Amino acid sequence: MKEYLNTANSPLLWASAMPIALLVVIQAIIFTKKALDSAHLVDLSKDDARKAFKIGAISSIGPAMGVFVVMLGLMAVIGGPLAWMRLSIIGAAPTELAAAGMAAKALGKELTSSDYGMMEFANATWVMGLNGSAWLLSTALFSHKIEGLTHRISGGDPKRVGVLMISAMCGAFAYLFGNELKKALNPATVPFAVSGISAAIAMYFLEKFARKHPKLGEYNLGIAMIIGMACAVIYKRIVA
Amino acid sequence: MSKENLTYDQSFTKPIIKYGMITNLLGVLLSFVPSFVLLFVYDIFPGVSNILSGWVLIVSIYGIYAIVEPVSYFPILGLPGTYMSFLAGNIGNMRVPCSAIAQEAVGVTPGSKKAELVSTLGIAGSIITNMIVVTIAAVGGAALMNAFPPIVIEAFTYVSPAIFGAIFSLYASKKIEYGAFALIVVGIMLLVIKVLPTYVMIPVAVFSTVFFAFKTHDMRNRKNK
Repeated sequence: MKEYLNTANSPLLWASAMPIALLVVIQAIIFTKKALDSAHLVDLSKDDARKAFKIGAISSIGPAMGVFVVMLGLMAVIGGPLAWMRLSIIGAAPTELAAAGMAAKALGKELTSSDYGMMEFANATWVMGLNGSAWLLSTALFSHKIEGLTHRISGGDPKRVGVLMISAMCGAFAYLFGNELKKALNPATVPFAVSGISAAIAMYFLEKFARKHPKLGEYNLGIAMIIGMACAVIYKRIVA
Repeated sequence: MSKENLTYDQSFTKPIIKYGMITNLLGVLLSFVPSFVLLFVYDIFPGVSNILSGWVLIVSIYGIYAIVEPVSYFPILGLPGTYMSFLAGNIGNMRVPCSAIAQEAVGVTPGSKKAELVSTLGIAGSIITNMIVVTIAAVGGAALMNAFPPIVIEAFTYVSPAIFGAIFSLYASKKIEYGAFALIVVGIMLLVIKVLPTYVMIPVAVFSTVFFAFKTHDMRNRKNK
Protein backbone atom coordinates (compact mmCIF):
# COMPACT_ATOMS: atom_id res chain seq x y z
CA MET A 1 0.00 0.00 0.00
CA LYS A 2 1.14 3.48 -0.76
CA GLU A 3 2.51 5.58 2.09
CA TYR A 4 -0.12 8.36 1.96
CA LEU A 5 -2.94 5.83 2.24
CA ASN A 6 -1.88 5.17 5.84
CA THR A 7 -2.78 8.75 6.64
CA ALA A 8 -5.76 8.81 4.27
CA ASN A 9 -7.22 5.80 6.10
CA SER A 10 -6.23 6.88 9.61
CA PRO A 11 -8.79 7.07 12.44
CA LEU A 12 -8.32 10.82 12.57
CA LEU A 13 -9.34 11.16 8.93
CA TRP A 14 -12.38 8.99 9.64
CA ALA A 15 -13.28 11.33 12.49
CA SER A 16 -12.87 14.37 10.25
CA ALA A 17 -15.24 12.93 7.65
CA MET A 18 -17.96 12.31 10.21
CA PRO A 19 -19.35 15.81 10.92
CA ILE A 20 -20.73 16.35 7.41
CA ALA A 21 -22.12 12.83 7.17
CA LEU A 22 -23.89 13.50 10.46
CA LEU A 23 -25.17 16.79 9.08
CA VAL A 24 -26.82 14.98 6.16
CA VAL A 25 -28.60 12.62 8.56
CA ILE A 26 -29.60 15.43 10.93
CA GLN A 27 -31.06 17.45 8.07
CA ALA A 28 -33.05 14.42 6.89
CA ILE A 29 -34.35 13.92 10.44
CA ILE A 30 -35.32 17.59 10.87
CA PHE A 31 -37.15 17.64 7.53
CA THR A 32 -38.89 14.35 8.33
CA LYS A 33 -40.06 15.75 11.65
CA LYS A 34 -41.34 18.95 10.05
CA ALA A 35 -43.18 16.93 7.41
CA LEU A 36 -44.78 14.71 10.06
CA ASP A 37 -45.76 17.75 12.15
CA SER A 38 -47.46 19.33 9.15
CA ALA A 39 -49.10 16.15 7.80
CA HIS A 40 -52.51 16.89 9.33
CA LEU A 41 -52.68 20.20 7.45
CA VAL A 42 -52.84 18.42 4.09
CA ASP A 43 -54.74 15.31 5.20
CA LEU A 44 -51.72 13.07 5.02
CA SER A 45 -52.39 10.10 7.29
CA LYS A 46 -49.75 8.69 9.64
CA ASP A 47 -49.83 5.45 7.67
CA ASP A 48 -49.22 7.14 4.35
CA ALA A 49 -46.42 9.24 5.85
CA ARG A 50 -44.73 6.12 7.18
CA LYS A 51 -45.29 4.42 3.84
CA ALA A 52 -43.63 7.30 1.96
CA PHE A 53 -40.51 7.11 4.12
CA LYS A 54 -40.36 3.34 3.84
CA ILE A 55 -40.72 3.37 0.05
CA GLY A 56 -37.92 5.91 -0.25
CA ALA A 57 -35.72 3.76 1.95
CA ILE A 58 -36.46 0.51 0.08
CA SER A 59 -36.32 1.95 -3.44
CA SER A 60 -32.89 3.43 -2.88
CA ILE A 61 -31.25 0.11 -2.00
CA GLY A 62 -30.66 -0.63 -5.69
CA PRO A 63 -29.16 2.73 -6.66
CA ALA A 64 -27.12 2.77 -3.44
CA MET A 65 -25.62 -0.57 -4.43
CA GLY A 66 -24.64 1.08 -7.70
CA VAL A 67 -22.88 3.78 -5.67
CA PHE A 68 -21.22 1.08 -3.59
CA VAL A 69 -19.60 -0.44 -6.68
CA VAL A 70 -18.05 2.82 -7.91
CA MET A 71 -17.11 3.82 -4.41
CA LEU A 72 -14.61 0.99 -4.17
CA GLY A 73 -12.76 2.50 -7.12
CA LEU A 74 -12.66 5.87 -5.40
CA MET A 75 -11.46 4.32 -2.13
CA ALA A 76 -8.43 2.85 -3.81
CA VAL A 77 -7.22 6.36 -4.70
CA ILE A 78 -8.34 8.69 -1.92
CA GLY A 79 -8.83 6.21 0.92
CA GLY A 80 -11.95 5.10 2.79
CA PRO A 81 -12.83 8.19 4.85
CA LEU A 82 -12.81 10.75 2.04
CA ALA A 83 -14.61 8.42 -0.40
CA TRP A 84 -17.20 7.72 2.29
CA MET A 85 -17.63 11.41 3.02
CA ARG A 86 -17.86 12.53 -0.60
CA LEU A 87 -20.40 9.86 -1.51
CA SER A 88 -22.56 10.53 1.56
CA ILE A 89 -22.88 14.14 0.45
CA ILE A 90 -23.23 16.07 -2.82
CA GLY A 91 -20.74 13.89 -4.61
CA ALA A 92 -21.55 11.55 -7.41
CA ALA A 93 -18.63 9.22 -8.01
CA PRO A 94 -17.69 10.46 -11.54
CA THR A 95 -17.63 14.09 -10.38
CA GLU A 96 -15.49 13.26 -7.38
CA LEU A 97 -13.06 11.21 -9.47
CA ALA A 98 -12.77 14.15 -11.87
CA ALA A 99 -12.17 16.57 -8.97
CA ALA A 100 -9.47 14.32 -7.51
CA GLY A 101 -7.97 14.05 -10.99
CA MET A 102 -7.86 17.82 -11.45
CA ALA A 103 -6.33 18.28 -7.99
CA ALA A 104 -3.53 15.93 -9.04
CA LYS A 105 -3.19 17.65 -12.40
CA ALA A 106 -2.63 20.99 -10.67
CA LEU A 107 0.48 19.40 -9.16
CA GLY A 108 1.49 17.88 -12.49
CA LYS A 109 0.44 14.34 -11.57
CA GLU A 110 -2.23 11.81 -12.54
CA LEU A 111 -4.46 9.76 -10.26
CA THR A 112 -2.67 6.70 -11.59
CA SER A 113 0.85 8.17 -11.27
CA SER A 114 3.16 5.97 -9.24
CA ASP A 115 4.30 9.06 -7.36
CA TYR A 116 0.75 10.18 -6.44
CA GLY A 117 1.24 10.97 -2.78
CA MET A 118 0.35 12.93 0.31
CA MET A 119 0.39 16.37 -1.28
CA GLU A 120 -1.89 15.30 -4.14
CA PHE A 121 -4.22 13.71 -1.62
CA ALA A 122 -4.31 16.90 0.45
CA ASN A 123 -5.04 18.92 -2.67
CA ALA A 124 -7.89 16.54 -3.50
CA THR A 125 -9.54 17.30 -0.15
CA TRP A 126 -9.46 21.03 -0.91
CA VAL A 127 -10.52 20.84 -4.55
CA MET A 128 -13.37 18.39 -3.85
CA GLY A 129 -14.53 20.62 -0.99
CA LEU A 130 -14.49 23.75 -3.12
CA ASN A 131 -16.20 22.03 -6.03
CA GLY A 132 -19.04 20.63 -3.93
CA SER A 133 -19.49 23.91 -2.07
CA ALA A 134 -20.79 25.55 -5.23
CA TRP A 135 -23.98 23.45 -5.11
CA LEU A 136 -24.35 23.92 -1.36
CA LEU A 137 -23.99 27.68 -1.65
CA SER A 138 -26.32 28.06 -4.61
CA THR A 139 -29.05 25.96 -2.99
CA ALA A 140 -28.61 27.52 0.47
CA LEU A 141 -28.88 31.03 -0.90
CA PHE A 142 -31.30 30.76 -3.80
CA SER A 143 -33.71 27.84 -3.26
CA HIS A 144 -36.44 30.01 -1.76
CA LYS A 145 -36.02 32.46 -4.63
CA ILE A 146 -36.55 29.70 -7.20
CA GLU A 147 -39.63 28.69 -5.23
CA GLY A 148 -41.05 32.16 -5.85
CA LEU A 149 -40.20 31.87 -9.52
CA THR A 150 -41.98 28.54 -10.01
CA HIS A 151 -44.96 29.98 -8.20
CA ARG A 152 -45.11 32.74 -10.74
CA ILE A 153 -44.79 30.31 -13.67
CA SER A 154 -47.65 28.21 -12.39
CA GLY A 155 -49.73 31.16 -11.18
CA GLY A 156 -50.47 29.22 -7.98
CA ASP A 157 -53.07 27.11 -9.83
CA PRO A 158 -52.64 23.54 -8.50
CA LYS A 159 -53.46 22.08 -11.92
CA ARG A 160 -50.68 24.10 -13.50
CA VAL A 161 -48.27 23.10 -10.73
CA GLY A 162 -49.04 19.48 -11.62
CA VAL A 163 -48.43 20.16 -15.32
CA LEU A 164 -45.15 21.87 -14.44
CA MET A 165 -43.96 18.95 -12.35
CA ILE A 166 -44.92 16.17 -14.77
CA SER A 167 -43.49 17.98 -17.80
CA ALA A 168 -40.24 18.87 -16.01
CA MET A 169 -39.94 15.23 -15.02
CA CYS A 170 -40.51 14.08 -18.61
CA GLY A 171 -37.89 16.56 -19.83
CA ALA A 172 -35.19 15.69 -17.31
CA PHE A 173 -35.60 11.93 -17.60
CA ALA A 174 -35.94 12.04 -21.39
CA TYR A 175 -32.45 13.51 -21.30
CA LEU A 176 -31.04 10.96 -18.82
CA PHE A 177 -32.79 8.07 -20.60
CA GLY A 178 -31.89 9.41 -24.07
CA ASN A 179 -28.21 9.41 -23.13
CA GLU A 180 -28.46 5.70 -22.34
CA LEU A 181 -30.45 4.96 -25.52
CA LYS A 182 -27.70 6.60 -27.54
CA LYS A 183 -25.33 3.95 -26.26
CA ALA A 184 -27.11 1.46 -28.56
CA LEU A 185 -25.13 3.01 -31.41
CA ASN A 186 -21.87 1.67 -30.05
CA PRO A 187 -21.68 -2.16 -30.02
CA ALA A 188 -19.64 -2.13 -26.80
CA THR A 189 -22.24 -0.18 -24.82
CA VAL A 190 -25.49 -1.70 -26.15
CA PRO A 191 -26.30 -3.41 -22.79
CA PHE A 192 -26.79 0.03 -21.19
CA ALA A 193 -29.53 0.81 -23.71
CA VAL A 194 -31.00 -2.68 -23.25
CA SER A 195 -31.17 -2.10 -19.50
CA GLY A 196 -32.92 1.26 -19.96
CA ILE A 197 -35.45 0.05 -22.53
CA SER A 198 -36.40 -3.16 -20.73
CA ALA A 199 -36.81 -1.32 -17.40
CA ALA A 200 -38.99 1.28 -19.15
CA ILE A 201 -41.23 -1.41 -20.64
CA ALA A 202 -41.33 -3.33 -17.35
CA MET A 203 -42.32 -0.18 -15.46
CA TYR A 204 -45.14 0.51 -17.89
CA PHE A 205 -46.75 -2.88 -17.22
CA LEU A 206 -45.94 -2.86 -13.50
CA GLU A 207 -47.77 0.45 -13.16
CA LYS A 208 -50.83 -0.89 -14.97
CA PHE A 209 -50.79 -3.90 -12.70
CA ALA A 210 -50.31 -1.78 -9.58
CA ARG A 211 -53.40 0.24 -10.37
CA LYS A 212 -55.41 -2.92 -9.70
CA HIS A 213 -53.22 -4.08 -6.80
CA PRO A 214 -52.01 -0.90 -5.09
CA LYS A 215 -50.03 -2.80 -2.45
CA LEU A 216 -47.52 -3.98 -5.05
CA GLY A 217 -46.75 -0.46 -6.25
CA GLU A 218 -44.15 0.01 -3.51
CA TYR A 219 -41.77 -2.40 -5.14
CA ASN A 220 -42.24 -1.31 -8.75
CA LEU A 221 -39.03 0.64 -9.09
CA GLY A 222 -37.01 -2.15 -7.52
CA ILE A 223 -38.57 -4.79 -9.75
CA ALA A 224 -38.12 -2.69 -12.91
CA MET A 225 -34.49 -2.11 -11.95
CA ILE A 226 -33.80 -5.79 -11.51
CA ILE A 227 -35.47 -6.61 -14.83
CA GLY A 228 -33.39 -3.93 -16.57
CA MET A 229 -30.11 -5.15 -15.08
CA ALA A 230 -30.96 -8.79 -15.78
CA CYS A 231 -31.83 -8.09 -19.42
CA ALA A 232 -28.56 -6.18 -19.88
CA VAL A 233 -26.49 -9.04 -18.47
CA ILE A 234 -28.42 -11.65 -20.48
CA TYR A 235 -28.05 -9.63 -23.66
CA LYS A 236 -24.31 -9.32 -23.07
CA ARG A 237 -23.93 -13.06 -22.45
CA ILE A 238 -26.10 -14.30 -25.29
CA VAL A 239 -26.02 -11.75 -28.08
CA ALA A 240 -22.72 -10.00 -27.68
CA MET B 1 -51.03 24.58 21.89
CA SER B 2 -51.54 26.76 18.88
CA LYS B 3 -49.70 24.28 16.66
CA GLU B 4 -53.01 23.16 15.19
CA ASN B 5 -53.75 26.66 13.96
CA LEU B 6 -50.52 27.19 12.06
CA THR B 7 -50.78 27.50 8.31
CA TYR B 8 -48.83 25.15 6.06
CA ASP B 9 -46.50 28.00 5.29
CA GLN B 10 -45.73 28.65 8.98
CA SER B 11 -45.58 25.04 9.97
CA PHE B 12 -43.56 23.68 7.04
CA THR B 13 -42.28 26.07 4.36
CA LYS B 14 -40.75 28.72 6.65
CA PRO B 15 -38.90 26.28 8.94
CA ILE B 16 -37.69 24.32 5.90
CA ILE B 17 -36.15 27.47 4.42
CA LYS B 18 -34.53 28.32 7.75
CA TYR B 19 -33.10 24.88 8.44
CA GLY B 20 -32.30 24.22 4.78
CA MET B 21 -30.24 27.38 4.59
CA ILE B 22 -28.43 26.71 7.88
CA THR B 23 -27.63 23.06 7.12
CA ASN B 24 -26.44 23.64 3.56
CA LEU B 25 -24.22 26.55 4.62
CA LEU B 26 -22.90 24.46 7.48
CA GLY B 27 -22.21 21.80 4.85
CA VAL B 28 -19.80 24.18 3.11
CA LEU B 29 -17.81 24.61 6.31
CA LEU B 30 -17.80 20.94 7.24
CA SER B 31 -16.63 19.97 3.73
CA PHE B 32 -13.20 21.23 4.72
CA VAL B 33 -12.73 19.45 8.04
CA PRO B 34 -10.43 16.78 6.51
CA SER B 35 -8.42 19.52 4.79
CA PHE B 36 -7.92 21.33 8.10
CA VAL B 37 -6.99 18.12 9.90
CA LEU B 38 -4.31 17.50 7.30
CA LEU B 39 -3.10 21.07 7.67
CA PHE B 40 -3.08 21.42 11.44
CA VAL B 41 -2.38 17.86 12.57
CA TYR B 42 -0.19 16.49 9.80
CA ASP B 43 1.18 19.84 8.68
CA ILE B 44 0.38 19.13 5.03
CA PHE B 45 -0.79 21.95 2.80
CA PRO B 46 -0.58 21.93 -1.00
CA GLY B 47 -0.41 25.73 -1.18
CA VAL B 48 -3.06 28.22 -2.21
CA SER B 49 -1.98 28.36 -5.84
CA ASN B 50 -2.20 24.58 -6.32
CA ILE B 51 -5.61 24.50 -4.69
CA LEU B 52 -6.85 27.31 -6.86
CA SER B 53 -5.51 25.88 -10.10
CA GLY B 54 -7.12 22.51 -9.32
CA TRP B 55 -10.34 24.35 -8.53
CA VAL B 56 -10.27 26.35 -11.76
CA LEU B 57 -9.80 23.13 -13.74
CA ILE B 58 -12.80 21.45 -12.14
CA VAL B 59 -15.00 24.57 -12.05
CA SER B 60 -14.52 25.00 -15.79
CA ILE B 61 -16.19 21.60 -16.25
CA TYR B 62 -18.76 21.47 -13.46
CA GLY B 63 -19.18 25.03 -12.15
CA ILE B 64 -22.15 25.85 -14.36
CA TYR B 65 -24.03 22.82 -13.02
CA ALA B 66 -24.25 24.43 -9.59
CA ILE B 67 -26.72 26.86 -11.17
CA VAL B 68 -28.27 24.73 -13.92
CA GLU B 69 -29.07 21.65 -11.83
CA PRO B 70 -30.89 23.29 -8.90
CA VAL B 71 -33.00 25.35 -11.31
CA SER B 72 -33.74 22.45 -13.69
CA TYR B 73 -34.63 19.97 -10.97
CA PHE B 74 -36.55 22.43 -8.80
CA PRO B 75 -40.00 21.83 -10.34
CA ILE B 76 -39.47 18.13 -9.61
CA LEU B 77 -37.82 18.21 -6.19
CA GLY B 78 -39.63 21.18 -4.68
CA LEU B 79 -38.16 23.32 -1.91
CA PRO B 80 -37.35 20.71 0.79
CA GLY B 81 -36.23 18.22 -1.86
CA THR B 82 -33.79 20.74 -3.29
CA TYR B 83 -32.07 21.41 0.04
CA MET B 84 -31.83 17.71 0.83
CA SER B 85 -30.86 16.48 -2.62
CA PHE B 86 -28.05 18.92 -3.16
CA LEU B 87 -26.62 18.22 0.29
CA ALA B 88 -26.95 14.46 -0.10
CA GLY B 89 -26.22 14.12 -3.81
CA ASN B 90 -27.17 11.33 -6.25
CA ILE B 91 -30.09 13.30 -7.60
CA GLY B 92 -31.07 11.66 -10.88
CA ASN B 93 -30.28 8.11 -9.86
CA MET B 94 -31.70 8.16 -6.33
CA ARG B 95 -33.45 11.24 -4.90
CA VAL B 96 -35.84 12.01 -7.75
CA PRO B 97 -36.79 8.35 -8.41
CA CYS B 98 -37.46 7.77 -4.69
CA SER B 99 -39.54 10.91 -4.45
CA ALA B 100 -41.49 9.92 -7.57
CA ILE B 101 -42.17 6.34 -6.52
CA ALA B 102 -43.26 7.44 -3.03
CA GLN B 103 -45.72 9.92 -4.54
CA GLU B 104 -46.96 7.26 -6.93
CA ALA B 105 -47.51 4.63 -4.23
CA VAL B 106 -49.24 6.98 -1.80
CA GLY B 107 -51.27 8.34 -4.69
CA VAL B 108 -50.96 12.12 -4.44
CA THR B 109 -51.63 14.84 -7.01
CA PRO B 110 -48.28 15.92 -8.47
CA GLY B 111 -47.33 19.40 -7.34
CA SER B 112 -49.75 19.51 -4.39
CA LYS B 113 -48.71 20.26 -0.80
CA LYS B 114 -49.43 16.71 0.18
CA ALA B 115 -47.13 15.61 -2.62
CA GLU B 116 -44.43 17.89 -1.22
CA LEU B 117 -44.60 16.20 2.19
CA VAL B 118 -44.65 12.70 0.68
CA SER B 119 -41.68 13.62 -1.51
CA THR B 120 -39.79 14.99 1.53
CA LEU B 121 -40.35 11.74 3.42
CA GLY B 122 -39.40 9.58 0.44
CA ILE B 123 -36.17 11.48 -0.06
CA ALA B 124 -35.38 11.38 3.66
CA GLY B 125 -35.85 7.60 3.61
CA SER B 126 -33.51 7.28 0.64
CA ILE B 127 -30.87 9.39 2.39
CA ILE B 128 -30.85 7.07 5.40
CA THR B 129 -30.52 3.99 3.16
CA ASN B 130 -27.71 5.55 1.15
CA MET B 131 -25.88 6.42 4.33
CA ILE B 132 -26.13 2.86 5.61
CA VAL B 133 -25.01 1.28 2.33
CA VAL B 134 -22.12 3.69 1.82
CA THR B 135 -20.98 3.16 5.41
CA ILE B 136 -21.09 -0.62 5.03
CA ALA B 137 -19.10 -0.24 1.81
CA ALA B 138 -16.51 1.95 3.51
CA VAL B 139 -16.05 -0.37 6.46
CA GLY B 140 -16.38 -3.69 4.60
CA GLY B 141 -14.69 -2.44 1.46
CA ALA B 142 -13.14 -4.80 -1.01
CA ALA B 143 -13.75 -7.81 1.24
CA LEU B 144 -17.49 -7.33 0.78
CA MET B 145 -17.05 -7.07 -2.94
CA ASN B 146 -15.75 -10.63 -3.03
CA ALA B 147 -18.83 -11.86 -1.21
CA PHE B 148 -20.96 -11.10 -4.28
CA PRO B 149 -20.76 -13.25 -7.41
CA PRO B 150 -19.06 -11.28 -10.21
CA ILE B 151 -22.23 -11.34 -12.30
CA VAL B 152 -24.08 -9.38 -9.59
CA ILE B 153 -21.35 -6.75 -9.50
CA GLU B 154 -21.49 -6.56 -13.27
CA ALA B 155 -25.28 -6.18 -13.19
CA PHE B 156 -24.99 -3.14 -10.94
CA THR B 157 -23.05 -1.24 -13.60
CA TYR B 158 -26.37 -1.23 -15.48
CA VAL B 159 -28.47 0.10 -12.61
CA SER B 160 -28.52 3.78 -13.66
CA PRO B 161 -29.95 3.25 -17.17
CA ALA B 162 -32.62 0.99 -15.67
CA ILE B 163 -33.64 3.71 -13.18
CA PHE B 164 -33.71 6.40 -15.86
CA GLY B 165 -35.79 4.21 -18.18
CA ALA B 166 -38.24 3.22 -15.46
CA ILE B 167 -38.82 6.77 -14.21
CA PHE B 168 -39.15 8.16 -17.72
CA SER B 169 -41.74 5.52 -18.53
CA LEU B 170 -43.62 6.21 -15.28
CA TYR B 171 -44.03 9.90 -16.13
CA ALA B 172 -44.35 9.66 -19.90
CA SER B 173 -47.29 7.30 -19.44
CA LYS B 174 -49.06 9.97 -17.36
CA LYS B 175 -48.96 12.37 -20.29
CA ILE B 176 -47.81 10.61 -23.40
CA GLU B 177 -47.50 13.82 -25.43
CA TYR B 178 -45.08 15.38 -22.92
CA GLY B 179 -42.95 12.26 -22.96
CA ALA B 180 -42.93 12.06 -26.75
CA PHE B 181 -42.12 15.73 -27.12
CA ALA B 182 -39.25 15.53 -24.60
CA LEU B 183 -37.76 12.45 -26.23
CA ILE B 184 -37.87 14.10 -29.67
CA VAL B 185 -36.15 17.24 -28.34
CA VAL B 186 -33.48 15.12 -26.65
CA GLY B 187 -33.10 12.99 -29.80
CA ILE B 188 -32.52 16.09 -31.91
CA MET B 189 -29.93 17.43 -29.45
CA LEU B 190 -28.07 14.13 -29.03
CA LEU B 191 -28.21 12.74 -32.57
CA VAL B 192 -28.61 15.71 -34.91
CA ILE B 193 -26.94 18.71 -33.25
CA LYS B 194 -24.52 16.53 -31.29
CA VAL B 195 -22.20 19.31 -30.09
CA LEU B 196 -24.26 20.77 -27.23
CA PRO B 197 -22.73 20.52 -23.76
CA THR B 198 -24.74 18.77 -21.03
CA TYR B 199 -25.33 22.00 -19.14
CA VAL B 200 -27.26 23.27 -22.17
CA MET B 201 -29.10 20.04 -22.93
CA ILE B 202 -30.58 19.50 -19.45
CA PRO B 203 -32.27 22.91 -19.14
CA VAL B 204 -33.37 22.85 -22.79
CA ALA B 205 -34.94 19.39 -22.32
CA VAL B 206 -36.69 20.44 -19.10
CA PHE B 207 -37.90 23.90 -19.98
CA SER B 208 -38.90 23.25 -23.60
CA THR B 209 -41.11 20.40 -22.34
CA VAL B 210 -42.53 22.66 -19.61
CA PHE B 211 -43.23 25.33 -22.22
CA PHE B 212 -44.86 22.80 -24.55
CA ALA B 213 -46.94 21.42 -21.69
CA PHE B 214 -48.26 24.84 -20.63
CA LYS B 215 -49.07 25.78 -24.23
CA THR B 216 -51.05 22.59 -24.86
CA HIS B 217 -52.66 22.80 -21.41
CA ASP B 218 -53.82 26.37 -22.01
CA MET B 219 -55.03 25.59 -25.52
CA ARG B 220 -57.12 22.70 -24.24
CA ASN B 221 -58.57 24.89 -21.47
CA ARG B 222 -59.54 27.56 -23.94
CA LYS B 223 -61.24 24.99 -26.14
CA ASN B 224 -63.22 23.70 -23.19
CA LYS B 225 -64.50 27.12 -22.23
